[in-house]
Amino acid sequence: MTIYSLYIYDRHCACVYYQDWHRTKQPKRAGEGGGILNAVSQAVSPLATDSAAPTPSAFSSPRNTLSSTSGLVVAVGEDPVTPLPNPAEHARSNTLPFDEEAKLVYGVVLSLRNMVKKISGRDEQFTSYRTSSYRLHLYETVSGYKFIMLSDAATDGLRFVLRSIYNGPFLEYVVRNPLVPMDSRSQGIDNDYFRASIDRLVRGLSVFN
Amino acid sequence: MAIFSLWVINKAGGLIYQRNFADGLAQLTSNEYLVLAGTLHGIHAITSRLSPTGSSSGAQVIEGETFKMTILLTATGTKFVLLTSLAEATADSVLQRVYEAYADAVMKNPFHTPEMPIRSEGFDTRITSLIGTGQP
Repeated sequence: MTIYSLYIYDRHCACVYYQDWHRTKQPKRAGEGGGILNAVSQAVSPLATDSAAPTPSAFSSPRNTLSSTSGLVVAVGEDPVTPLPNPAEHARSNTLPFDEEAKLVYGVVLSLRNMVKKISGRDEQFTSYRTSSYRLHLYETVSGYKFIMLSDAATDGLRFVLRSIYNGPFLEYVVRNPLVPMDSRSQGIDNDYFRASIDRLVRGLSVFN
Repeated sequence: MAIFSLWVINKAGGLIYQRNFADGLAQLTSNEYLVLAGTLHGIHAITSRLSPTGSSSGAQVIEGETFKMTILLTATGTKFVLLTSLAEATADSVLQRVYEAYADAVMKNPFHTPEMPIRSEGFDTRITSLIGTGQP
């Protein structure tokens, strides 16, 4: 029982936030010009090639305090702004770059959502699907934000978790944060408080081991 | 506890059998069912690539708020899809028995062309005795 990753999409189909936990198959960094927004996740955003490249976000600190693999706070001091190239980058050659993965996740969810509506003939929501190795959960808000979580195949429905992410950290650190441009189409919603708050919430779950 | 519908999708994504049992879902035209089957075929291929951990099968169960689709992918690429209520616990075993009926009444039928729509009275009869009206 575990939780792998969380994606948040806005109503313009753009991925605005990404975070992962026990994910063994890490995505490759998004390619330059792959259409991924700034301030989605420092772990997967394109590497800055020169100093003129836009910084991930005007307000988020460049340090990455949350290591996704160990679960420990690894950096308390200031790190260089440009993340160092990951030596394991070439070992991930069979995995998708993050920008393509984000599009595939959105495409699957959107198709299934339309399919469920069509088959039921009502305004019924698609909630989850399960494969042999993982389960995807969807929670969609009335404002069109889609919260998508990937967990272990054996977990029960996690929509209540997605709902509480929306009710708690999302409203507190994104909607009520004047520095986060909502609906901007050019900027994600990543910020340190939001990330830390989600991390706390998810690590406190009984299914997170 | 109800079984709404059974689909059989060939390995190219074409719908070769579709039959409704219990009421509860929308009645669609055969053209709409064909489109949905093709979509499902594509989604199924993508879901296996999205695995965050090692290799994965395609989607096995897809859930809405009032119904779920259970998908059985055979070794030859044919998909059996059963649309049931969420509480239905027998979907997997029903699909196994549908597969058996398919092997006996369709694949052993010398007049059946593989990958083409199933028009076999024997298969219809077996499915009727297996699922009936879809109500417990």
